[in-house]
Amino acid sequence: MDLCTDNAMPQHPKTLNDIPQDIVALFKAHHVSKSLRRQPKVYTDTSNFTSIDYGDIIHIDGRYFLVTAYAVEGRFGVDDQPKQWVPKVHDLVSGQSLILKLVFHETFSVDIGNFTINCYRNPEKEARILEYTQGHERFMQGYSVEDDAGNLVRILDVVPGRRLDKHIYRHECSHEEYFYTYLPALLREFLACAQAIGFLHRGGFRHGDIRRDHIYVEYGTNLFRWIDFDYDFYLPERPFALDLFELGNLLMFLIVRGDCRERDFIEHHYIDEAFLSTISAEDYSLVSKTRIVNLQKIFPYIPVELNQICMHFSQKSSVWYDTADEFCVDLEKAVATLS
Amino acid sequence: MADWQKILVAVDDSNLSNRVVDYVGQVVSGHAGVQISLLQVYPEPPPCFYQEGHNLKEFKQEKEEVAHEVFQRLIPVLAGYGIDAETIQTLCQMAEGNSLSKEILKVRDQGRFGTMVLGRRGISKAEEFLFGSISTAILRESHDFTVWVVS
Repeated sequence: MDLCTDNAMPQHPKTLNDIPQDIVALFKAHHVSKSLRRQPKVYTDTSNFTSIDYGDIIHIDGRYFLVTAYAVEGRFGVDDQPKQWVPKVHDLVSGQSLILKLVFHETFSVDIGNFTINCYRNPEKEARILEYTQGHERFMQGYSVEDDAGNLVRILDVVPGRRLDKHIYRHECSHEEYFYTYLPALLREFLACAQAIGFLHRGGFRHGDIRRDHIYVEYGTNLFRWIDFDYDFYLPERPFALDLFELGNLLMFLIVRGDCRERDFIEHHYIDEAFLSTISAEDYSLVSKTRIVNLQKIFPYIPVELNQICMHFSQKSSVWYDTADEFCVDLEKAVATLS
Repeated sequence: MADWQKILVAVDDSNLSNRVVDYVGQVVSGHAGVQISLLQVYPEPPPCFYQEGHNLKEFKQEKEEVAHEVFQRLIPVLAGYGIDAETIQTLCQMAEGNSLSKEILKVRDQGRFGTMVLGRRGISKAEEFLFGSISTAILRESHDFTVWVVS
């Protein structure tokens, strides 16, 4: 299939009339075009991503990407919301499904316990991480390229898999059965992901948004992979603290198979209100005062080695992890006791 | 062990630095051969910095101006204890690719300072976990030099 070179095309194509006819033919053969009630636009400048819609084409890096949907994500207590700067696309020539991340700079504050931390959406950081982690099986893969306006667009391979926070609920069983039957394999994969975070940190990068829906579990292999590293935070003296804190939260989420707040344990009938009187202040999270981290008190079958990792995030602790590598050393020992 | 009389004092624009420098003045007053250096370290700019159109040169200039005012405020405190102001060195540095404590330690190491003096604010464990404590971090690395912590 011949594609026109840029020399034969207008500088900024805007409609189907401005792109090669063979691409137009591919578009018309695509199911998206059948349901479109308007003329699609063709974008080479993605600055105003809110105007890019389903059925439009983004032309960058010599490729033609047809917008077929948008990624969604829940945040700040609001259920899954579409992310207009993250269109899901089909490469019209190769037929490949991909995700594009368009440039969107954002600064906001996040409350962690009683503290407020400034966070930033940083597309440039994500682009550098994509380069740094090229070929690493624990990270989503892709590359970045500038559009006509100099926006750094990230072109990402889709991770064919299930979100971790959905994956762990696949089997209906008691917590004890989950703990002995499924958790060891989950923790081995999580350990590999935590080691991957260590790799990032050694390269001077933070993940910036470690959370339970930012690990995807690949179909078939059950390999855990990180996605979404365009967030950053600013803690000059403890540059990786938030990543470490969230690694701890994620570990506890996996152990508990849910959240660790008092009301979560009560709602799931792991404990009752009377039991709370046996939980002391030292059993709670250093930062989030309603989260119980001394999980062995709730689930006595949790081995000491694993519980000790959680206790490093407790109010009792005066020694905490400075690096992801320290966290991984302890986690590796704990995982070995479960195998 | 490095020479204890080479003293590196980490300062910033807080009132605590006044107390730190005052303490140093009281302790070393009358000692011959003491060399004092005041060090102000500042972090790299935040992630949104360049995207907002700022440039690094102006950022560094601003920080150095603030540091200069701090030094101008603190040097007379030491001079009040008979320490010759002309002998007091001042250093202002950006912690490039480093935490603040690591940058301070790097300066200490390069200058072979035998004594480090720091202020300690007194923060909660949770705050220390997230935001760090420079004095704690430096104490942990004080293998071949002395640390004075003033709170």
